[in-house]
Amino acid sequence: MAMSRWTDNFGYGFIVTGTVLCSALIILIILVVGLYSLEAVSRIGIDLFTLEWNPGRNRFGIIPMLYGSVAVTSIAMLIAVPLGLLAAIFSAEMLPRRLRNPVKAFLELLAGIPSIIYGLLGIVLLGVWLADLFDLSSGRVILTGGLLLAIMVLPTLISLADDALRNVPDRYRESGKSLGLYPYQVIAKIVLPAARADLTGAILLALGRALGETMAVMLVIGGIDRIPQPFVNILSPGQTITSKLGRELAEAAFGSLHFSALITMGLILLVSVLLFTGISLHYFKPQQRLYE
Amino acid sequence: MLQYMTARLAGLFVLGCFISSCSRPENLSIAGSTTVLPVISVAAERYQLANPGLSILVNAGGSGVGVNQLGNGAIDIGMISRNITIDEIASYPDVNFIVHAIGKDAVVPVVSSEIHAAGVTALSLGNIASIYLGEIQNWRELGGPDRDILVVDKEQSRGTRHVFMEAVMGDEEALAPGADLVLGSNNEEQTAIVQSDSAIGMLSHAWLNDDVVGLSVILGDGSIIEPTLANIINDSYPITRDLLLVTNGQPQDFAADFIAFIFSTEGQTIVEENGYVALDR
Repeated sequence: MAMSRWTDNFGYGFIVTGTVLCSALIILIILVVGLYSLEAVSRIGIDLFTLEWNPGRNRFGIIPMLYGSVAVTSIAMLIAVPLGLLAAIFSAEMLPRRLRNPVKAFLELLAGIPSIIYGLLGIVLLGVWLADLFDLSSGRVILTGGLLLAIMVLPTLISLADDALRNVPDRYRESGKSLGLYPYQVIAKIVLPAARADLTGAILLALGRALGETMAVMLVIGGIDRIPQPFVNILSPGQTITSKLGRELAEAAFGSLHFSALITMGLILLVSVLLFTGISLHYFKPQQRLYE
Repeated sequence: MLQYMTARLAGLFVLGCFISSCSRPENLSIAGSTTVLPVISVAAERYQLANPGLSILVNAGGSGVGVNQLGNGAIDIGMISRNITIDEIASYPDVNFIVHAIGKDAVVPVVSSEIHAAGVTALSLGNIASIYLGEIQNWRELGGPDRDILVVDKEQSRGTRHVFMEAVMGDEEALAPGADLVLGSNNEEQTAIVQSDSAIGMLSHAWLNDDVVGLSVILGDGSIIEPTLANIINDSYPITRDLLLVTNGQPQDFAADFIAFIFSTEGQTIVEENGYVALDR
């Protein structure tokens, strides 16, 4: 009895400590990033939102990097979301149960491959294929980054979306079938709407991963701080916030204006991810689930 | 002091802890230029064989990283392949940068083998500047095939870029509005040029091979200088530089001993084995 009380208390303490530590860590990250971006925000101000980045001449325009991040993430999500949702519907609703777990295991294995490996494959395969396909002089373009990201976020997206669909109780499907609905009607009219909140969570997590991915994108995107002409030309090289940070953070003198400007980009990234999370919390409350 | 410590801890936190800098004397951490890297990795390997108690950690990152991490106290020795800039010295008023030349190298304008085979084998520094400024955009204008030039630039703080831009544009931090790609290490640059059939870039002499061909430089008097070791040794090739190690103050203990090893006959042989020019040549 005493033993069980002790383990109870220990478990409780462990969970509370873990929760507090994690929240403290997030607050610390926001504080530190905010603190180090102060200098750039106060000294550069509105000039941050210009096109030229040249630390040697005190020009810190971050628009090209913002553009790159938005472009690459949009491409990745445009490809990954429809593909991922369809794959999840297949694995959750159509695949026999005994095949579903091996498929999921492989997908999760894919999600665990270090991003540098994806990056190298992107350089030696994907980039070369795209260069051949579109007759480019170099495969290090925004589209390569977007495609690579799509491939990288797909496993996470499929696995989470599959869980979301599986969480919908079978009695809903059975009711649908008993009403004489076709299988696709059951999926489209019953399962998908019921799992909407969880599916959105899966998509947002994938979006966060796409926004924050560094190594793979850095290797394939070309590294040039420029918005393509015209700006929809995704077959031009570019730069994302993360690739810029990956390439330059270690080169910037600690505490310099250059360093601060880089951290400001990190802050923008952090704030946008927080914003997405906030939106999803606000609009897709768990209470909206029909099942609990 | 506390403020300094907090700032440092926070900084390490932000940077995601690159290298854990151990203060124990039997560890030596080195980082920086990917041009100097091959020499130092081999030297570190041999030196550790002879001194089993010592562990040397060698990392890449580029000359800028070498200077900054030494400035931050994250490493014991920085590798650089260019001079330390005035800005860098000003950023670290408490650090006494002392450089040690360990060998000599050339920065060579390189092109994809297809371009070299098509007849573009020598360019003047003015031609190269025009390419990087975006004034010349097609190989046709330089006697090559009718193909757009893929202009490969390097990150701003890279040693190779400083030396190259100083020679070509007269300003080590010159902008290159004609650039198509901006890459980092010698390896990355080399890969991009190999993968393309119309690229121009800048590489350390030791990175030239059959797929990445060095261009000869046409001097003002019309003479054409090939990027050969002999021409680097006799100083006729126009873009040469010293390979440097940099320490904070005079090196002590193992750092001093390791640098002495690089100056030794065995160390200088390693410099030559990697395609660079030894000190006494």
